[in-house]
Amino acid sequence: MEKVKITPYQLFALILLFELGSALLVAIGIEAKQDAWIVILLGMIGGLLLFFVFYRLYCFYPDCLPTEYIQKIMGKGLGKSVAFLYMMYNVYVAARVLRDFGAMLLTFAYIETPLFIANTLMILVIVYSVSKGIEVLARTGELFLVFIYFLAGSGVLLVLFSGVVDLHNLQPVLENGWKPIVKATVKETIYFPFGELIVFSMIMPYLRDSKKIRNVGIIGVIVSGISLMLVMVFNLSILGVNLTARSQFPLLSTIQTIHVADFLERLDVYFMIALIVGGFFKISIFLYAAVIGTANICNIKPASRLTYPLGLVVLFISMTMASNFPEHLKEGIRVVPLLLHLPFQIIFPLLLLGLAFWKNRKKTN
Amino acid sequence: MPSFFKKKPPKDKKTAKEQKKPAGSSPLSVVLDENLAVIKDKTGNSTDIIIRRLNHSPRFKTEAAIVYLKGLTDSQTIQEIVIESLMKSDPVETRPSSMQEMIEGYLPLGNMEPVKDWETLFQALMSGHTIIFADGYSEAMSTSTEGGERRSIEEPSTQRAIRGSREGFTESIETNISMVRRIIQNPNLWTETMTIGRVTKTKVTIMYVKGIARDDIIEELRSRLEKIDIDGVLESGYIEQYIEDQAITAFPTMYHSERPDVVAGNLLEGRFALFVNGSPFVLLAPVVFVQFFQSIEDYTERFYISTALRFLRVLIFFISLIGPATYIAATTFHQEMIPTQLLVAIAAQRESVPFPSFVEALIMEVTFEILREAGIRMPKAIGSAISIVGALVIGQAAVQAGVVSPAMVIIVAITAIASFATPSFGIAISVRLLRFLFMISAATFGFFGMILGFIILVVHLSGLRSFGVPYLSPLAPFVPADINDTFVRGPLWADRKRPAFMSGNNQTRQGEDTGRPQPDQSRGMVTKNEGDDQ
Repeated sequence: MEKVKITPYQLFALILLFELGSALLVAIGIEAKQDAWIVILLGMIGGLLLFFVFYRLYCFYPDCLPTEYIQKIMGKGLGKSVAFLYMMYNVYVAARVLRDFGAMLLTFAYIETPLFIANTLMILVIVYSVSKGIEVLARTGELFLVFIYFLAGSGVLLVLFSGVVDLHNLQPVLENGWKPIVKATVKETIYFPFGELIVFSMIMPYLRDSKKIRNVGIIGVIVSGISLMLVMVFNLSILGVNLTARSQFPLLSTIQTIHVADFLERLDVYFMIALIVGGFFKISIFLYAAVIGTANICNIKPASRLTYPLGLVVLFISMTMASNFPEHLKEGIRVVPLLLHLPFQIIFPLLLLGLAFWKNRKKTN
Repeated sequence: MPSFFKKKPPKDKKTAKEQKKPAGSSPLSVVLDENLAVIKDKTGNSTDIIIRRLNHSPRFKTEAAIVYLKGLTDSQTIQEIVIESLMKSDPVETRPSSMQEMIEGYLPLGNMEPVKDWETLFQALMSGHTIIFADGYSEAMSTSTEGGERRSIEEPSTQRAIRGSREGFTESIETNISMVRRIIQNPNLWTETMTIGRVTKTKVTIMYVKGIARDDIIEELRSRLEKIDIDGVLESGYIEQYIEDQAITAFPTMYHSERPDVVAGNLLEGRFALFVNGSPFVLLAPVVFVQFFQSIEDYTERFYISTALRFLRVLIFFISLIGPATYIAATTFHQEMIPTQLLVAIAAQRESVPFPSFVEALIMEVTFEILREAGIRMPKAIGSAISIVGALVIGQAAVQAGVVSPAMVIIVAITAIASFATPSFGIAISVRLLRFLFMISAATFGFFGMILGFIILVVHLSGLRSFGVPYLSPLAPFVPADINDTFVRGPLWADRKRPAFMSGNNQTRQGEDTGRPQPDQSRGMVTKNEGDDQ
């Protein structure tokens, strides 16, 4: 482990930026139509429960990285392979987010730029930042959190001044009952964005004040859930259900409705900043977790030596994971949640927690 | 053979050690003429070294001589005090056993030290001391008679303030130290002097307030200074480059100031000051990024005015950093983000311009940098010619000739003024450099490139440290107690704590009672009740 410590507020900033990362940009839970915001809130509650699972695991082994305590719980050989699978999962998700990010950027602003160029530039910046370590990343997060919320605040004001918000679009609430809402939650929001918090179990041991992790995590998840919900409420009430569902980037469409004083219009740069900054933090945190985890498993010191090779791997996977964007989206909706998110975010942690309970009880007896 | 190899290395070490020892550190001779001959020999018989022989001094039973450097010494002191008292003092009956004993009671000067070896003797001589020799003693006396022509205290030319002290540092280290001592009259203001520079032997003084400054930082500073082994220190910038935390950065990690009040203020916050003889710029560290946006006047004005001014400076920083880059990005990649009427206006202007906007911006920015460089180097008398050439020929004629668009001239002009308005030259100069990087990134990838550049910039800044203090503190890592002296400035009476990272354990700087001033209303000066009635 690196000998660095981050403050509770820094962890909070990272959680928030991570959660908002790409979830801000797409229409999550839109299957439930105008009740998508309820889906987000339910997903948040699910995220809180998952966070408690990760937190309990951390409480058993507060000084170890997950890659170490998995080995303690499951035994050396099995534990090592599970830990390694986790690292592969981290790398894969980082590559997924990178692909998402690159594809979005190209569709909305740089139509003629090759995907490879956009992804390469992004991963270069990320590799540079991750190689500087979690401390620097956390400080950057602190600053960008203020920046993003400042932008969000001004955006909300501008949207309100444009007079396009129509809360009637949110009605009727619970048109088809709770069933589609729960379905959408279980199928999507609980994994993305909230279940992805699993990656923070790699970062928790770095917190200076280990007692505060629980509160910071809870507040972080709640604030991010409410922020996402508010964005969804704005999207739905401005664009309506149909447009939100059909629009590739609802947030961009929402921002484009801003029209104040015949001068402030087409503030696409807001969306671009949210896209790049959010993508940056999300990929960075996944990559960082993968780097320290792999270094821990393979006993490589210093861990930052792995940043460049792993960054290259992420770039490569992001380019080859799908031959086009629709394929990428289809994989993301049909395959990944069931085959990757469900086992890695829910089944494995629950299993580990059960085993940890059993092992530690045996110890006390 | 093996013994030969074994013996050789220690021999080398010995000779190396001997070589390192300066040749002049041998002891003085007992014979006066020999000593004087050595001085003449070592200094190449330099004409500004004055050797005055005192053949018939009643004070010395033997021959004596004083040696000093013309120009570095105060000739009045030498003539009226040193020579006069040596020549006129009453004769003694017995010959004193040492120089010190002989002179101490008779020479009314403050600083006097016996010198026994040549190295210290020459150092004293070169720094303006007068050396007194007498025949028959293997030691000399060095008396401090520094003087000579120096620049007097003037108003600082780089950090002007409308309200504040008018004193600026000079080139003399003693004057500079005394100016700070006059402000902080406290025995806890400690100084430490060392000489750096093999040839120049420049005096460098560390100053800090004991009990406020962190001891580990001072210790770190000492060890960094001791590692410096160069032949000359001509300005505090030399020292700065050797003791920085990170050399590969565009941003200054030490602050330099020409104002004693700024130095005093920083000392009180737990920083240390580094005085270098011959430089009117005093170094201050550890510094944080926000400090470069602050000016001494911020503390003398009321807090809301200062806060507004500081926000203005942040705006200035961003304009001078990304002003031209934004224009390039918007006109090259993101035309749809420009409001239609403005877009039409810009397009009409750019119709006749043969260059892409990046080239246009580059031409204008480089031209402006040339103008600025010329303005610094030119004699003052022809300085106005620069502005005529710059404004009329390059500005107006270039637009009329259709080489650049008027919008571009406006952007460059605003950027230029913004970079002049930055309160600290250190940050302004790094922004000048980074501006070109941002222009390149904007020209290649539009806003995407600029945002990535901005992220790299923030990551880089987050990783910087100044003597172990994070450069972006108290913003990141966030220190809530210190936030009222960053880009905002809270009222002075609310600023109870010193910056946490600098001042270790001694953080409280105000008494608990010094709260917001609320005078009693009973003096009949505040008519609150009348107001209430209405």
